Amino acid sequence: MPVPWEALIPFGLVTTMFAAAGTLLNVSKRAQNQGKPVRYHLDAWDEMMMDRDKRLTGHERGQSINTIAPESFATNSKWYTERA
Amino acid sequence: MSFWHNPSSAAKPYVDPTPLPDDIPKVQELGVTSGPLKSAAFFIGAYCKDYNDDFMLCKAENRDPAHCLKEGRRVTRCAQDLITKMRENCLAEFDKHWNCLEWNNQEYGACRKPERALNKCMFEKLGLVKTIPGTPEGQTPIHEVKNPILNGVQK
Repeated sequence: MPVPWEALIPFGLVTTMFAAAGTLLNVSKRAQNQGKPVRYHLDAWDEMMMDRDKRLTGHERGQSINTIAPESFATNSKWYTERA
Repeated sequence: MSFWHNPSSAAKPYVDPTPLPDDIPKVQELGVTSGPLKSAAFFIGAYCKDYNDDFMLCKAENRDPAHCLKEGRRVTRCAQDLITKMRENCLAEFDKHWNCLEWNNQEYGACRKPERALNKCMFEKLGLVKTIPGTPEGQTPIHEVKNPILNGVQK
């Protein structure tokens, strides 16, 4: 049975493109998460905590173990300045 | 009306338009973020049980935010106290555990090894034990199981 060698070129192309898409998405996602894996299965509590992390460190994935919050934490909640 | 301005790009420092009245003591909030807090959670539960219970009882009494400010300040102070002690005594184990949590979607199951080291250190230095509330009688709690079946995603 003859092997369709010509089909290997598009097959290779398609495989490469799938790999390129996946790798690029992974790199982009990690770049947005300070190099850490992306969080998943987030519930309302997690989102609230990530919002708090952002207020404390300036980034959703930023972490700190300072006992005292920075001075800006007292006023940087968006609830403070939203119109009632 | 007022807008929210990003403080990092603001020209002048932001002034709180509605500060708390002066008769309420100013509180220094806890600066610990989600990962380290999750790592310390069971120790906060063990160390600050009285203050936390007091706060919850107060809240059950009255949902008015002004009613439980004093109890809330005690909860904050107790958590700060514990984090300070943790940093003094078990900083290496603490860092390892919360970094592991941070790299594993903050799931305890994936980080049992650093967790055991942290639990051991916390028990030896501070006498605090992690107990999971509601564990059935006579059953090994999941953080003490030697070979847990579910232990994170393979990468």
